Amino acid sequence: MSMSEPTPTIDPSTPAGMLEGDLVKNARRGDFTAYDELVKRYQQRIYATIYHMTANHEDANDLAQESFIKAFQALPSFKGGSTFYTWLYRIAVNKTINFLKQRKNRQHMSLNDLDFNAEHDPDLMALISDKTPVREVGLSELQQKLNAALLKLSEPHRMVVVLHDVQGVSHDEIAEMMDCNIGTVRSRLFYARQQLQGFLAEYINPA
Amino acid sequence: MKNSENNFKTLRQLLKLKQHEIPPPGYFNTFSDQVIARLQSGEGRAPSRTERMNEQAPWLAWLLQLIDARPGVIGGFATSLVLLLVIGVIISDRSDSMPDNILTATTATTDSQPTASLASMPTAMPTADLVAASQSTGIVASTNPVTSLQPVATLFGQSSGSPLFRTASLMGAGN
Repeated sequence: MSMSEPTPTIDPSTPAGMLEGDLVKNARRGDFTAYDELVKRYQQRIYATIYHMTANHEDANDLAQESFIKAFQALPSFKGGSTFYTWLYRIAVNKTINFLKQRKNRQHMSLNDLDFNAEHDPDLMALISDKTPVREVGLSELQQKLNAALLKLSEPHRMVVVLHDVQGVSHDEIAEMMDCNIGTVRSRLFYARQQLQGFLAEYINPA
Repeated sequence: MKNSENNFKTLRQLLKLKQHEIPPPGYFNTFSDQVIARLQSGEGRAPSRTERMNEQAPWLAWLLQLIDARPGVIGGFATSLVLLLVIGVIISDRSDSMPDNILTATTATTDSQPTASLASMPTAMPTADLVAASQSTGIVASTNPVTSLQPVATLFGQSSGSPLFRTASLMGAGN
């Protein structure tokens, strides 16, 4: 029987140990320490969503920061009807879609590196070794093609694919974040997948 | 159908590649600090009226910018709008005015009826009947002010005491 390591206890009086609701309440009063904790909790997910939408690290960095700043400004209007996380996502989604609409036809990719685990992901290995007709295709080339294909989708369709298939957000939450009904989310997802399938046919369809 | 689902499965496998894209090392160590620093430097303040307008009604902001940039064009446009409005008002005034012949006919009718002949006027309907008639048809029973006042004078039997009745008598004496 192995001894398990003691789990670190989090002091509930520190921001890291506080509940989301309390942090929001304190941040609304202008407490930057509380808001700093909220930013830390959601920065990765917000950044990732925006990055997958823009395929550009610099744009994602700017938009993610602006989303958090806008959320802080709008905190007094946050009624608590949804979770802070959903509400924050909605701000980021709207900001990103507006940004992409404005800079249409001026899309420039600035992709992040793939982590070490990508080379050991069995699903990805299967794709590049067995399924693709161009067997010698590398992961970075696949990454380029995938991002280029995603950029060909309209913003709402891309957002649904990113949120569901990449981020793993549920249909219900996407509907709330994008202020549409669940049927719209499902139909957008189906259409977007069909489109992507067409764009990436040579990497997806079995030889 | 099954093939399509299979293809979606492969697509979803491919999309997993996106989860392996990571920002530069240490990026998230300073992210929140940057946000808080921007907030503390004043970016967290409530947006000004202009900023809010830019965000909520970009078309209005665009219009104001256009007015600033090309005052001559906007001035001409505004003048033509005002002219159109004035022309519209004049035309509507003309179409609303009553034709002259109707006015003359009305005057002639009132002149020909002696005001003193109040007694010869048709017997007034009881007020209850008038109300019922107007409610059922939606039309007021009479538009003649003298006729409509008549029942008030006779209803309570105030033949000479009523100031209304007295006024009518005076008018009759005047003619």
